[in-house]
Amino acid sequence: MTRPHRRRILSAAAKRSLPFLIAAIVIVVVWQLVVTLTHPDPSVLPTPWATAIAFVGLVRNGQLGVDALYSVARVVSAWLLSAIVAIPLGLLMGSSLRLERIVNPFVELLRPISPLAWIPMAILWFGIGEGGKVFVVFVGTFFPILLSTVAGVKAVDPVLLNAGRVFGCTSRLALFRRVVVPASLPSVVVGLRVAFGTGWAAIIAAELVAAHTGLGYLIANGMDILRADLVLVGMAAIGLLGFLFDAFFRALQRQFGGSS
Amino acid sequence: MTVGAPRAGKPLRIDRLRKTYATRAGGEVEALGPITLDVAPSEFVVVVGPTGCGKSTLLQILAGFLEPTSGRVLADGTPITGPSIDRSMVFQSYALFPWLSVVENVEFGLRGQAHSRKECRELAMHQLRLVGLHSFADASIDELSGGMKQRVAIARAFAVDPSILLMDEPFGALDALTRRLLQRELLRIWEEQRRTVVFITHSVTEALFLGDRILVMSSRPGHIRAEWKVDVERPRDVTSDALRDLERQIYAILDEELGRSFEQGVGNRG
Repeated sequence: MTRPHRRRILSAAAKRSLPFLIAAIVIVVVWQLVVTLTHPDPSVLPTPWATAIAFVGLVRNGQLGVDALYSVARVVSAWLLSAIVAIPLGLLMGSSLRLERIVNPFVELLRPISPLAWIPMAILWFGIGEGGKVFVVFVGTFFPILLSTVAGVKAVDPVLLNAGRVFGCTSRLALFRRVVVPASLPSVVVGLRVAFGTGWAAIIAAELVAAHTGLGYLIANGMDILRADLVLVGMAAIGLLGFLFDAFFRALQRQFGGSS
Repeated sequence: MTVGAPRAGKPLRIDRLRKTYATRAGGEVEALGPITLDVAPSEFVVVVGPTGCGKSTLLQILAGFLEPTSGRVLADGTPITGPSIDRSMVFQSYALFPWLSVVENVEFGLRGQAHSRKECRELAMHQLRLVGLHSFADASIDELSGGMKQRVAIARAFAVDPSILLMDEPFGALDALTRRLLQRELLRIWEEQRRTVVFITHSVTEALFLGDRILVMSSRPGHIRAEWKVDVERPRDVTSDALRDLERQIYAILDEELGRSFEQGVGNRG
C-alpha cells in the first residue's frame, strides 16, 4: 500500500469518526453544565472529571478489565451458541415451508417475551452461576439471528436459483449449498450484528440482578455503595464496548456485500 | 490451449406444446400454444413477440423450469424433464452470483462437471478472453457495468459446452450501443462455437441482425404467427433493402397482434 493511499484511508476514517467525537464532547459539556448549575451531591452525580479519574483508577487496578472481560465472554459464548443453533435452523426454515409452518408459531409466541423477563426463571433454574446468564443472552440473541436468516433465504432471487439449477445444481442439496447459503449470507451477518446488540443489553441486565462479576454487577454495586462515579464508569464502558462491537460488525457487513 | 473438438448443437423439437395457468377464480387461462416447431442443430432461432405473448414462458419450458400442460418438448430426441447443463441459459437480469468473482461465476457450471480445478480455471479464462474480460477475472460482480455483466453471463453459458443455448431477452436491459456491441460479440462467439440457439427478444432489429430464422408470435395464447428464413450473410446490414422489407412485414404482423392484445386487455406478462 502506498503512503498517499494509506493517508487517504486514515483521513476517511477520521472524517467518519469526527461526528462521534463531537457528540461525545457535547455529552460531556452538557453533563458538566448540569453539575455546575445544580450542584448535585457527588454520590448522585459526580463531575465528568471525577468520573474520568475513577475510570483511570478502575483500569489501573484491573477491575474494569476483569468485569468487561466477564461480560464480553458471556455475551460472545451465548451469542455463538445461538448462532450455531439459529443459523442452520433458519436456513432450513427458509427453504422448507412445512418446517417454517411448524416452527413459526413457537417463535411468534416466545419472541415477545423479553430476554429480561427470562432472568427470574434463569435464576430459579441455574442459580447465579454462568449458566443462567448464558441462557438469558441465548434467548435474547436467538430470535434476531433466526428471523434474519429465514428472511435471507426467502429473499434469494428466484432467478439465481434458476441459474444454479441450469448450471449444474441438480439436487436440492447442491442448490442449497452452492446458491441458497451464500446468497443469504449478507442477511445472516445482519442478524448476527443485531443479535449482538440485544445480547449486550441482555447481559448487563442479567448481571444487574444476578452476578458477582461483569459490568452489570459493577454498576449495580456502585449503586448499592452510593458511588455514582463507579456507576458512570461502568455505563461508559458498556457504551464504548457496545459501540466498538457494532463498528466491527458494520465492517464485516461491508465485507460480505450487504448490497446483494 | 485446447478446448475439446468443436461440437455441434443438437436439435430441439416442440410438439403441440400448450401451457395454461389456473386462475384464482378457478378458471383456466391459456398462456401458450399450441406450438409445433423444429429447431435444427446449430440453428440460430430468434423469437419475436408482443409483450405478454408467452415467449418467456416458452423459454422457461425449454429450460425445464416449467412443465408444459400438454404436448412434448424434446432436446436431441429426449423429453425435457428439468433444467440441464446441456441447455445453458443467458438471463435478462444476468443472474450472476454476486458472492463469486467474475472467473468463479464462469467456472460455476464447470465445477459440477468432470474437470480438475486447473482445467476449470483454464476453460473459464478461455471464455473470458472471448468476451474480452480476462483482465477482470478477479473483479467482483458489483464492479461491472450491465454490458460487462452480460458478457460474463455469456461466457458462463458457453463455458459448460452446451449443445443448446437459451437466451431470454439477454440484451433487453442494455443501452442501444452496448446492445449492438454484444450482438456482434455473441455472433462472433457463436460462429466459433456453433450451438443451437433460441433467442427471445422484442426487438425486430435484433432479430434481423442475429437470426437464421425469425419466428413471430401471436398475442396470448402465443403461437407462431409467421416465420422467415433469413438467408443474408453475416455480418448483416439491417438497413439493407432486403432486411428493411422484412422488417416491414414483421412489424405489420406485430402491430396487428399488439392491437389484438390491446383489445383483449392482456396484462404485461412477458
